[in-house]
Amino acid sequence: MNNFVNSSSILKRLGNHVLELPLWNYRVATYSITLFGLIAMYIVISTPLTLSEQAIFAILAFGIALVIRTLPWGQAGIILMIVISLMMSLRYMYWRLTSSVDFGTALDAFLGWGLVLAEIYALIVLILGYVQTAMPLKRNAVMMPTDQTHWPTVDVLIPTYNEDLDVVRLTILAALSIDWPADKLRIYLLDDGRREEFREFCHEVGAIYLTRENNHHNKAGNLNAALSQINGEYVAIFDCDHIPTRSFLQLSMGWFLKDPKLAMVQTPHFFFSPDPFEKNLDTYRIVPNEGELFYGLVQDGNDLWNASFFCGSCAVLKRESLMEVGGIAIETVTEDAHTALKLSRKGYNLAYLAVPQAAGLATESLSRHVVQRIRWARGMAQIFRVDNPLLGRGLTIWQRLCYTNAMLHFFYGLPRLVFLTAPLAYLLMGAEVFSSTAIMVVAYALPHIAVASMTNSKIHGRFRHSFWSEVYETALAWYIFLPVTLALINPKLGAFNATSKGGIVEEEYVDWKLARPYIFLLALNLIGFLAGLIKLATDDGSTGTLIINLAWVTYNIIVISASANVAKETRQLRATPRVNASLPATILLSNGKTIVCETSDFSRNGLGLKPLTAVEIPVGEQIWVSIFRGDKEAVLPGTVSKGGKSIGVLFENLSVEQQRELTQMTFCRADNWVNAWGQAAKDAPLRSLREVLTYGVFNLAPLLRDASRDIYLAIRARSTRIKLKA
Amino acid sequence: MKIISVVSAKGGVGKTTISANLCVALRRQGSTVIALDLDPQNSLRLHFGVAPSHHAGVALSLLRGSNWAKEIVQGGAGCAVLPFGHVSESERINFESALTKDPLLLSQQLSSLGLPEDTIVIIDTPPGPSAYLKQALSVANIAIVVTLADAASYATIPMIDNLIEQYCLTRTDFIDYLYVINQLNRARQLSSDVADIMALQFSNKYISIIHQDQSIPEALACNQDALAYAPESQGAHDLIDFAMLINTILNDGYRAPKNEKLS
Repeated sequence: MNNFVNSSSILKRLGNHVLELPLWNYRVATYSITLFGLIAMYIVISTPLTLSEQAIFAILAFGIALVIRTLPWGQAGIILMIVISLMMSLRYMYWRLTSSVDFGTALDAFLGWGLVLAEIYALIVLILGYVQTAMPLKRNAVMMPTDQTHWPTVDVLIPTYNEDLDVVRLTILAALSIDWPADKLRIYLLDDGRREEFREFCHEVGAIYLTRENNHHNKAGNLNAALSQINGEYVAIFDCDHIPTRSFLQLSMGWFLKDPKLAMVQTPHFFFSPDPFEKNLDTYRIVPNEGELFYGLVQDGNDLWNASFFCGSCAVLKRESLMEVGGIAIETVTEDAHTALKLSRKGYNLAYLAVPQAAGLATESLSRHVVQRIRWARGMAQIFRVDNPLLGRGLTIWQRLCYTNAMLHFFYGLPRLVFLTAPLAYLLMGAEVFSSTAIMVVAYALPHIAVASMTNSKIHGRFRHSFWSEVYETALAWYIFLPVTLALINPKLGAFNATSKGGIVEEEYVDWKLARPYIFLLALNLIGFLAGLIKLATDDGSTGTLIINLAWVTYNIIVISASANVAKETRQLRATPRVNASLPATILLSNGKTIVCETSDFSRNGLGLKPLTAVEIPVGEQIWVSIFRGDKEAVLPGTVSKGGKSIGVLFENLSVEQQRELTQMTFCRADNWVNAWGQAAKDAPLRSLREVLTYGVFNLAPLLRDASRDIYLAIRARSTRIKLKA
Repeated sequence: MKIISVVSAKGGVGKTTISANLCVALRRQGSTVIALDLDPQNSLRLHFGVAPSHHAGVALSLLRGSNWAKEIVQGGAGCAVLPFGHVSESERINFESALTKDPLLLSQQLSSLGLPEDTIVIIDTPPGPSAYLKQALSVANIAIVVTLADAASYATIPMIDNLIEQYCLTRTDFIDYLYVINQLNRARQLSSDVADIMALQFSNKYISIIHQDQSIPEALACNQDALAYAPESQGAHDLIDFAMLINTILNDGYRAPKNEKLS
């Protein structure tokens, strides 16, 4: 055992050693090694092999990748796997384009080329993804100097439009509590809703309230209006529902002092409530969500290439640089990404720091989630049209690739729909989308898919679980497909929609409007499956092709079934989500006695408390609660809302000062979110597959039952209406 | 023998309660403890369940020239007590003049007890400057300054500081002194503000907080120590934390100035 540990660490060191050889500093060396690699790769992907040769080659490659996967070779191991994956995938594509596109009929050619294009898209995104995530930078925070005289001035901007004061209040109070010299920190609320209540609140707590004449360009315009009125050296931007911790600036500002060309530091968006996928699929904190892949890995990968994104919130920008590119970009609906691109073009550096220093509410319902993703996808398509990162000046090739991939990623709608319907071409229409034998398709396609999946699983680790991401993408594919296509045709098509948060889902219901396309797709695939079975029974001599298509259609049915279930909104009655945390606290009873407790959770207006010994406190009793942080203590008046072993306390009539103290003791704690970050289990592809399979299969029948019932009810309601009219 | 003197400039700040409960908490954490009452009020013994009718004590013992060791009473919670004893007015005046005449009197009496090296003696004193306070400070290894979080208590702190400087800081066997803010209630703005000001002003000193807690006086009324009476209370927790801090200071002998931490 000991030997194994030793040898494994030696291997890891050896791997890292190879990556850090001084050799890589010489252009001649890197260029000739690259050239040699490309030639070798071309030979590998283009050498024609017989079926059995290809099969042996595939098994060997798969086997080697399987072994490397388990070896602790660190980043070097990942790069080796990427090379094998590229070999198999490019070999597949070479074969696909040279040996399987000799289509017979016009229908075959149309559907066949459609599939080929979707596959090319997937391959490009795969390769760009490898570039992006092969070597995450994993930047550490730089500490600020102890002498505060040279600390820069920072303006914190919090734009809002129609969100509740309850939500915004927390963010303002938290921003006011950020640890930074008081004379160098100003908090601005930018209210496009122009609400008197908000103005009064800001006045009361010491934040500056700004409005403007109109709401042009939404959030970007709102920020720009403020930028013209402030003069701090840096601006920190928070969405009005992203609550910063007190350490936010001390952790994120250090790099600016170290790197004078740095224009932005982005930190993760962390959510303390489940998004609709996590809520409706019941995977919260078990399966990583989409954001975790982006902030856990993609941004860190981008950072290596100096292509970290500005994500609109939880970030600090250097005001001077920002003004040099004309403030926040207004040409597209994803102003944040576009602003980052502009800063990159001007030669500024962008950084990403993977320490969650703020947290917020995730979108509550699928419909709101969809609206948000549509905006992102549209915006990315717009940038691709109006300021294409592949063109224009000022970017390195790697920045171009990273930005391009970020945009291409959102074009997955159509290709995904193609993959979800491709086997139907054969099963329902008899179209041959591969002009090759079934066994050849398997010999080329299977190693391509298998090695790519394995490699991605190794890279993504605990930030993404295989197959679940297929479910996420599938559920959104239909909705982003149209807006993206429209924006690509004309960037002006479509309008901005702000996503509001903080709602209650009273009753469990299925959002049929959203599920409809997937029910339709599901029905189509089920029909295809039945048609395939019938064909199989009346064997016409193409068993191989049939089996491939049946397997494919089965997989599609499961993924669509799981995706459609996201539309089943589970009940969510608590409007203020709770954060689990054990903090020291004490109950002070009206008779002057005290009981030491630990909190079980906190929210913006309440606490869950676990007392040291069981006590009976009647519901409705007025008590005081102390919450401690180091030497600090906040004492707040509350009402007992739940008695027994775990006591619930509701804070209803807190003064502004007490609200500030509650916020400081709870949401502002520097260590709140760090521990919950990237804590999902490491990906195990087979386990993920089993999870998705189980989920898809077990929910298929209820889904179809609910669907048919609701369709029946809808038809009956309509016929009743018609009768009544008559 | 380690000597801890509990002192204050003002009366009614809870010195006796803190002395008694500190004894109990230190005893629970494994130390051998003797509580010495150097306050003519003679009330420390009541915290240890010694009968009110028990009249013997150190004052008379000294005047009669007998050894203090004979006056040790075994009190509750495993703590030994040396009561002040019930004295007449003239006996008190005689005792005090003896103390005034001989600055080493307390020191001699304590060493005559022949206590083991690791025994802790906790001395409760009457409020304000007096012969008792002078002697208690002159023998202390640790001085505990008890105060309330109110303006009057805060204003009297410099007076005690001066005495500590004079009688303690000059000695090499003196380890450290610390402040205890007793009966703190952060729900009261003034109380909370005074505590914050003190924390700021004495940022290089340890400041222990004992929260206001009805369980502590109730425990005395029920003839129990607060730790046994209401172990779930904040008061009991504060006392335990306080005793742990004292133990740390005793064991480390010397401690580095406390730094403000970012937590």
